[in-house]
Amino acid sequence: MTPVLEARGLGRAFGALLAVNDVSMAVASGELRAVIGPNGAGKTTLFHLISGLLAPTRGRIAFRGEDVTALSAPERCRLGISRTFQITSVFPELSVLENVRIAVQLKAGGNFRLLGGRGLIQASERRARESLAALGLSDRADALAATLPHGDQRLLEIAMAVAQEPELLLLDEPTQGLSPEDTAATVAVIRRIARERQLTILLVEHDMDVVFDLADRVSVLHFGQLIADGTPEEIRANADVQKAYLGGAD
Amino acid sequence: MTPRRARVLGLVTIAVLAVLPWVLARHQLSILVDLLIFGLFAMSLDLIMGYTGMVSFGHAAYFGLGAYGSALLLIHFQPPVPVALLAGALLAGAVAVPVGWFSTRATGIYFAMLTLAFAQLLYTVAYKWRDLTGGSDGIAGVPKTTLFWGGPSLADPHAFYWLVAACLVVSLRACRALTRSPFGRALEAIRENERRFVSLGRDARPFKVVVFVIAALFAGLAGALFAPFRGFASPEVMFWVLSGQALMMVITGGIGTLVGPVIGAMVFLLIQEVLSSYTEHWMIFTGAIFVLMVIFLPGGLVGTARRWMEARG
Repeated sequence: MTPVLEARGLGRAFGALLAVNDVSMAVASGELRAVIGPNGAGKTTLFHLISGLLAPTRGRIAFRGEDVTALSAPERCRLGISRTFQITSVFPELSVLENVRIAVQLKAGGNFRLLGGRGLIQASERRARESLAALGLSDRADALAATLPHGDQRLLEIAMAVAQEPELLLLDEPTQGLSPEDTAATVAVIRRIARERQLTILLVEHDMDVVFDLADRVSVLHFGQLIADGTPEEIRANADVQKAYLGGAD
Repeated sequence: MTPRRARVLGLVTIAVLAVLPWVLARHQLSILVDLLIFGLFAMSLDLIMGYTGMVSFGHAAYFGLGAYGSALLLIHFQPPVPVALLAGALLAGAVAVPVGWFSTRATGIYFAMLTLAFAQLLYTVAYKWRDLTGGSDGIAGVPKTTLFWGGPSLADPHAFYWLVAACLVVSLRACRALTRSPFGRALEAIRENERRFVSLGRDARPFKVVVFVIAALFAGLAGALFAPFRGFASPEVMFWVLSGQALMMVITGGIGTLVGPVIGAMVFLLIQEVLSSYTEHWMIFTGAIFVLMVIFLPGGLVGTARRWMEARG
């Protein structure tokens, strides 16, 4: 079966620095893949390359077997790649519901309806409410996004991406800055959504417990290069990974 | 504000506008027409500034294009005024297409500077192209023709007042509908977080160009009313000072409220009207009032009033 996402020889240089260096990976349909690595390993850069916010200096990216290397971020989103950001990125002065609704509208189309369009707005609102319910945010629908506590803002980001009904969901450190309780809740939500919606998920994560708890497979980045790729058990047992990341200093 | 309260307030406003011509003296009515025209102009700026978050320093260019377009047409061909209004608005909108296309390549202060540069360029054209525009003298003797071919004359002050008031009310309603449409909702998302908007699947620039052109159309309509009302068009109507005043009107009234800038324009011009009859240094006072308002009434008159009403329930 064609992988949902395939990177081949992917590289990105910033001047002399190779933030991502010759990364090849394939993510199968329905898989929950985690990318881990120490700070500065190039995880977020890799995410930007896949979502199209940055252009690679080398290599190709294929989505469902189709080369998308030349496509812009909005084009990739419309094809079915939605993402969240490491630093919470929502529409602060819009309501929680409108944050999610606009995500639906932008993907669905009809964006240049200058007058009327009430039916369009209502249809997107229904889908937005479903997504909010799936993330347990229904009772905050009318609040302004800026007034949500940090944990709920992280969930709102996921709700926006999920409402777009993507095939591939990119989550950039979804539990960043969350308390242990919120982290556990977020992990549970991600697992449930992945199962219910049969999403393929690529996840960048710092928190090892989260990664080993959630992921089907784990890829390890170190200084921009992929040094290991395997099931959580294999990664835990891998000596290179131990040295590079998992507390080799201890 | 509840929709019902808003509707009542709207109807009351329309009723007041309908009664005013019989209450006001002739010169007062003429001041009121001026206020309404500049209210329409300020409202058009709010579309890009308040709803999309693009601050333009060159909005007077479109007011001026509307004024010149309508003045030239009325002087040379004497069509009914609505024809001149349409022509003025379309001229402004047409010029806004390339200007918007170029300016939206930049954001923030660079966008503002580009709009200013284009506006000053157009000002210079109006100033130098004497054969067409009359240079610094401008175009005088612009006639208030008729409502339609063979229709009633608009030279009557009441008649012209009705025309301006109708244009303002219709424009306000059209812009209100625009901001509530899928397009208008997208504009607000761009204002709030453009990067996130793009990552959700659409390029922001086409939206920005379209709203820039729509704002220019309404600014052009205001200018096209101004020329026959005052009977002239001169380069001052596209000078940067007017662009700056438009920003002050929007901020005074309340960014992102549409009605606010209309009220802001009226308050701003009334203060100017009153102060300038006492002192030639009135600008010092309008400046001071503006500073105080920005500090103590953030959100402008309408924004503050809304917060106050929400707090009271």
